[in-house]
Amino acid sequence: MTTVPQMPKSWRLESKPHKFCPGCGHGLVLKALGEVIDELGIQDRVAFGCDIGCSLLAWDFFNVDTVQTHHGRTTPVMTGLKRANPDIVCIAYMGDGGGYAIGSQHLVNAAARNERITAILVNNCNYAMTGGQMAPTTLPGMKTETTPYGRDVEQTGYPTQGPEMVAAITREGAYVARGTIANLKQLKSYLKKALENQMAGNGFSFVEALSTCPTNWRTNAKDTWAFVEKEMPKYFKVGEIKNPAVKEGE
Amino acid sequence: MSVAYKVFSYEGEKGSWSVFPGLCKGCGLCKEKCPKKCLSWSLNLGVYGTPTVEPDMDECTACGICQTVCPDCAIAVVKKKK
Repeated sequence: MTTVPQMPKSWRLESKPHKFCPGCGHGLVLKALGEVIDELGIQDRVAFGCDIGCSLLAWDFFNVDTVQTHHGRTTPVMTGLKRANPDIVCIAYMGDGGGYAIGSQHLVNAAARNERITAILVNNCNYAMTGGQMAPTTLPGMKTETTPYGRDVEQTGYPTQGPEMVAAITREGAYVARGTIANLKQLKSYLKKALENQMAGNGFSFVEALSTCPTNWRTNAKDTWAFVEKEMPKYFKVGEIKNPAVKEGE
Repeated sequence: MSVAYKVFSYEGEKGSWSVFPGLCKGCGLCKEKCPKKCLSWSLNLGVYGTPTVEPDMDECTACGICQTVCPDCAIAVVKKKK
């Protein structure tokens, strides 16, 4: 009989229960990431950088070296670490507000330079920490604090499709994928490939994870699953977009 | 270092099912994902004062989906070996 929680070995037990809201997808993404770190056995050489927003609540999540930066700067900070010491595995962890809005310049330029780091972006369709305002990823017609009648695409344009953008500007060796917390096994395999791609020194690795935000979506568990499983993949297509292991045209 | 958590365990025909009220935040994601719909709200309260879940062990097949989808690792399922 088990009486201990089945947590990944790299999780920091003293900081649990973690600070994320009930039902938050960050816990599931970080659980998948923790399991991948365990499987690859790289806990002693991972540098984990979290961004501002809800993702910063992961600052004491793992028993790995962690740094917290502001507004998408986690990507250049991790780039600097990687250039100074190519042996460490750098993970830039951010939300859609930090990665696509305020810090998109860093993501775009790191991708264009094909920096050998892994960026993980958690997409929950709004700015969750500040109370659920419209973000670049808010779906058309979706209600948020600042779009109470639903997002009007005539006025505010269409949502950002990050992995497609990153895939378009990166060169050979980049790994780009979009996973979802509704399919954890697949998400875990994407995260593993992204880290392995970095460790092989191929190039920029980028994984977007579709996630939940029951607090700001104002959904119960049933509607939360329905939104992340049915509504979000309609606009954000799940799958691998760029994989150096698979040659073009095959 | 390990941290000891209070545990509520339930024994069934297919295996054992445990919940840790010190970790459970009562989000209900597991309750919706259960293929047998055998999880229900419990009278035991979790870390935020919200109800935790309890299984109907006559229905539970110890598939472990609730353990997988729990963002807080508050559920541990052990399937009995045949």
